[in-house]
Amino acid sequence: MRALVVASVLLAQASCQPTGDVGYVEIRTVPAASSVVPPSLYLDTFKVEPSKKGTTILTQRVGTTRLATDGAGGQLMLCEIAVKKNRITTVTISVMERPPRCQCRYGNGPSRVCVS
Amino acid sequence: MPFAPARAQAPNQPDALTPVEEFSKQLDAFKKSIPDLNKKIEDSAGAVDRWTDVGKARKEIEELRAIVGAALGAVSDNGAVSSLGVQALNHARTKLRSLEQDNRFKPEEKQFLTDQWRRLRDETERATEELGNARREFAELLRTLQSNEDFIDELMQIRQAQKALEVIQRLTKDIREASDQLKRLIGGIKPPGA
Repeated sequence: MRALVVASVLLAQASCQPTGDVGYVEIRTVPAASSVVPPSLYLDTFKVEPSKKGTTILTQRVGTTRLATDGAGGQLMLCEIAVKKNRITTVTISVMERPPRCQCRYGNGPSRVCVS
Repeated sequence: MPFAPARAQAPNQPDALTPVEEFSKQLDAFKKSIPDLNKKIEDSAGAVDRWTDVGKARKEIEELRAIVGAALGAVSDNGAVSSLGVQALNHARTKLRSLEQDNRFKPEEKQFLTDQWRRLRDETERATEELGNARREFAELLRTLQSNEDFIDELMQIRQAQKALEVIQRLTKDIREASDQLKRLIGGIKPPGA
């Protein structure tokens, strides 16, 4: 039992996965297969690794998280994502545009918040 | 003044005791069954209350979402399994690169080691791809649970109503049995001379 607890803690540490109440963020980059170099994306302080198939799913602590990219004078916020417990929020990033633009499945609007 | 019947005057005679004993036996059985029936009615009322609770259906959907969420969390890109997969893949790729520049081995040894690491790299790539498929499937499942929440809620409520119906049917059967017992008891009451 103790070994299991230790193993779980080590795994959680190794993966930098948030603990407690969590939800999920799906980041889709379109077009998935393009010659355009995908922009660097950051979910709060976490750098999102570009995915070969254009979709990345991340476990995220419940609350509002910022999706940003590299801008001329530092990080440029693209949109905010509302993360709800055990729910998935999908956001599509159009990489053809500069700066990239967030397209939310639900939400967005003037407040630029994507919801699940 | 008329004479009382002989049976009433001689209560110790066996033919006069039998109906009394029979009535007493049935009465005891009925009295014993009543608390049981009352308990069944109380339990059933509680069960029906639980099964017709709309909040319970919502809670079940939340539990379902938590199960799917936990599975998605394990395979998400920043999850434990994915991180291990990436680590293993990076290790195999690094090893292949370093082997190419390694001059410690004979060509056939180097070839053998390279082949082994290539096989490991390819298999790890396939495994991480499968992980990606699982990730997509769990994500889709969670999305379905979210977008069809109202419909699933209705399905859950139908399931609960079915359970409530089963409880009522069981209780009806128990009440009918008690009623039959009562009928037998009443039917067994025969006044002397009837």
